[in-house]
Amino acid sequence: MKHRSWLSGLLPAVLTLGFFSFSVSANDVVVGTSVALTGKYARTGQDQLNGFNMWVEEVNARGGLLGSKVRLVHYDDESKPETGVKLYEKLITDDKVDLLIGPYSSAVTIATSTVAEKYHFPMVSSGASDSNIWTRGYKNIFGLYTPANTYMDQILTYAKAKGLKRVALIYENTDFPRDVANGVKAKVKALKMNLVFEEEYGKASTDFSSMIIKMKSRKPDVVIGGSYLPDSTAFMRQAKENRFYAKMFAFAVGPGLPDFGQNLGLDAEGVMGNTQWESTLNIPGAKEFSARYTKKYGAEPGYHAAGGYGTGQVLEAAVKKAGSLDKDRLRQALLELDITTTFGRYKVDSTGQQIGKPGYTIQWINGVRQMILPESAATAKPVYPFKDWAKR
Amino acid sequence: MPNRKYKDLWLGTALLMLAMTAPLYVNDYYQSFLLQVFMMIALGQAWNLISGMTGYVSFGHTAFFGVGAYAGALLLLAGFPWWLAVLKGGGIALLLAIPLGLLTLRLRGPYFAIAMLGLNEVGRIAATLWTDLTHGGDGISLAPDLLPSLRTNYFSMLTLATTATLIVAYVYRSRFGLELRAIREDEEAAEMVGVNTVANKVMAFVLSALIPGAVGAVYAMYTSYINPQSVFSPALNIQIIVIVLFGGSGTVWGPLIGAGVVMVLRELLWAQFPAAHLALLGVLLLAVVLYLPGGLLSFVRARPQGRADSQVRKTP
Amino acid sequence: MELLDPIILLQLLIDGLLAGALYALLACGLNLVFGVMRVINLAHAELMLVGAFAAYLLYHYLGWHPLWSLLLVVPMVFVLGFYLERVLIECVVGRPLLTSLLATYGLSIILLNLGLLAFTSEYKSVPELQGALVMGEFAISKPRAAAAIVSVLLTAAVFLFLDRTRLGKAIRAVSEHAQVAAICGIDVRMIRMLTFGLSAAMAAAAGVMLTMIYSFSPESGADFIQKCFAIIIIGGMGNFAGAFYGSLLLGVVEAYVGGFASSQWAEAVAYLLLVAVLLIRPSGLKGVAYAKPQV
Repeated sequence: MKHRSWLSGLLPAVLTLGFFSFSVSANDVVVGTSVALTGKYARTGQDQLNGFNMWVEEVNARGGLLGSKVRLVHYDDESKPETGVKLYEKLITDDKVDLLIGPYSSAVTIATSTVAEKYHFPMVSSGASDSNIWTRGYKNIFGLYTPANTYMDQILTYAKAKGLKRVALIYENTDFPRDVANGVKAKVKALKMNLVFEEEYGKASTDFSSMIIKMKSRKPDVVIGGSYLPDSTAFMRQAKENRFYAKMFAFAVGPGLPDFGQNLGLDAEGVMGNTQWESTLNIPGAKEFSARYTKKYGAEPGYHAAGGYGTGQVLEAAVKKAGSLDKDRLRQALLELDITTTFGRYKVDSTGQQIGKPGYTIQWINGVRQMILPESAATAKPVYPFKDWAKR
Repeated sequence: MPNRKYKDLWLGTALLMLAMTAPLYVNDYYQSFLLQVFMMIALGQAWNLISGMTGYVSFGHTAFFGVGAYAGALLLLAGFPWWLAVLKGGGIALLLAIPLGLLTLRLRGPYFAIAMLGLNEVGRIAATLWTDLTHGGDGISLAPDLLPSLRTNYFSMLTLATTATLIVAYVYRSRFGLELRAIREDEEAAEMVGVNTVANKVMAFVLSALIPGAVGAVYAMYTSYINPQSVFSPALNIQIIVIVLFGGSGTVWGPLIGAGVVMVLRELLWAQFPAAHLALLGVLLLAVVLYLPGGLLSFVRARPQGRADSQVRKTP
Repeated sequence: MELLDPIILLQLLIDGLLAGALYALLACGLNLVFGVMRVINLAHAELMLVGAFAAYLLYHYLGWHPLWSLLLVVPMVFVLGFYLERVLIECVVGRPLLTSLLATYGLSIILLNLGLLAFTSEYKSVPELQGALVMGEFAISKPRAAAAIVSVLLTAAVFLFLDRTRLGKAIRAVSEHAQVAAICGIDVRMIRMLTFGLSAAMAAAAGVMLTMIYSFSPESGADFIQKCFAIIIIGGMGNFAGAFYGSLLLGVVEAYVGGFASSQWAEAVAYLLLVAVLLIRPSGLKGVAYAKPQV
């Protein structure tokens, strides 16, 4: 019958295709990862990938790892945790990679780290900071970023010093922003400030007007957003539309990226945000890395790119320390490692969470992103208060 | 036709034997693939039951899948053994289906479809907003030590797929199935002849919700992570619809063939070209709707099969 | 409670009406197609996004302000809709409603994923007409006001077209009884092509305007189509004025829910209303939900 011969022809075809999917030289050291190349986090995901690629190039120029060439296999997780999970299963069971790098965003990382844990495969995370990732008792996830619940500490301390009391908090309803928010709530309590507004919003939300109208009525001094790039941009735009004013605006992810200034122009002026890294930091190799990156990609590296590169360096150091690709030895090496990469210090506690690296605060001043806190690393003094909309 | 019947039985048993022994010689990755094929077969047959045989085309059957997935995940977290979680997942979906069925089946054709579409979204919203229960947008991540093994999940899904197919096969040849098809062809006429349309429709609807509920629970345990978007998923909806329509809706073999073909296509494309593979499904749907309403099976068997959209009034 | 402050209530009302006006442009177009052809076009929101992305491209590569893009994009999508009807929709006219639903569902999936292939799911927007007009205590968002004005003008124009012109009357004749209209000498197929083109053009206009209000991606269509369904089913399918007022109502309800509950609840309003009406009071729609499909 027609359909039977059809099917019986397809099955061998599929199997052969599958067979071919992992040809090439079996001697390469294969690093697997999924990156957010499309979806809400695409912008930052791409930066991270650039960092990885640059590291792969340079490590191969140095002779590779353990005498073999390094090859990066990556897929697009569409900024979706469920897609990431499937991809990591594929990387581990089908592509049979040797080393694993985590995806971008805490949400995708929390989900995919379960896959890594299932297969006892250590995974180094380059783009996640939600502290909850490390409270689950997993042994195979290691982080580079400073934890999210400390992100806003410096900003809140600064606000308190300026005598501000009323804080408004908004955040996306996923892992990382929630963690930022929890940190904010704890800090506000500790500093005896007043949380006058709190609201969660959906991942796909781009319309904040009703929220802003509500917020306006509470008259906050400080507005803090546990956000990513698209929402922080949309929010500021709509804040202007509604003539919503506060003395300080700060967002978790967004202001730390050049796009924020590009998209908002003058309206970005004075907005504060977090960064895990800037090229102006006094870290050995940072400036050189920035120069090389700019030459290769035509733009300055943001912290996501630096994080990607730093992850490669951590992997490199771990492999050298372990002397092999054996998972148990790698795991041990990653646990014990204490080094400084171009991204900053890497040292983790017994759960794999990063404890060696501090976080930093930036602010847009005169169209340029400047580091303002901590003072020891600052490139400019903070501008306060936020300039009124009418005066721009 | 006795010949046909035995041929079907032989083929079915052979395939089942193949499927049951596959884990012995197929690696983890292909087991995963087969698991997903079984999942689509089970979901397809369930959809077939209400949409194919009764003619009430549902655009939102993933609502029950989502409910089952969350029920299964939460029960697992609460400490229930996995098989109980699966059964309860199906049970909860079934319980929900009764009142929902009574309400939605009053609507005709496209309105029923839209209502189901809306229900799927309501499910997603409920999962997102009821954070105390469902962890909201974060989703639920199940720790590895809670999860049954891949092989266990494989056999669970195979069992569900087989059960679903057997149910459809049985219904197809039973009086119940005849009454359902009568409803599909002309509901008013069926009423007049004495068919209890309400009871029949609701029965079919409820049966068609039970399977996705159980499948959803197994899925949650297989994938270890679920969130509102991934389980109340419009993309899954369209895959189910395409699979059944493509294979031949209202028949027993249709979803099997459709699942096989579509899943293979998907496998070749999904990792490298996620958007292209979904676009292809859209094209398939269009092609089937416009040119091949009986699906592949009608092409092959040259026998007039039921059309999913036969809710037709012949006079204006 | 500060929220009962009349100024806030009024501000929310204004915002709601402005948003509703934009929905109206979209919903009236969808309604028109249903009225004339008894086809439920699930791809309507994707046609809107065609307009949005066209405006985005024109802005990005040629620097065109969206208000100027309207002049190019709207006629262009009209033509697109015109021929799309001929090629695709004609095949499902006269077939059961479900067929058109499935076919347009397929079309919407195709358009959505083609959009993803072309533009990825990154959010885009056009930063023109930003900011607000400040009138005393009220801030009226400029892009929303512009969108509302364009919507009202276009909707009114279409209404007058349907009401006063010969062609418009022909369209209404076909929507009342296609067979009799054919007998009267009206080229029914041409009317259908025109109507679909018109509906697509209205959607595209809405798309162009929304580039300045929301950040959008190829996946943004789903929310809008649900809103349209909610509007049409509540307002009465085939009822032009009903769709218009229903849109305004939805906009205002969303604004108030967003103001009093949260923005996540506001996003749910359309879906909840849709399902609630369909499940609980389908008879309240004057038996429309039991509509017998007409040929």
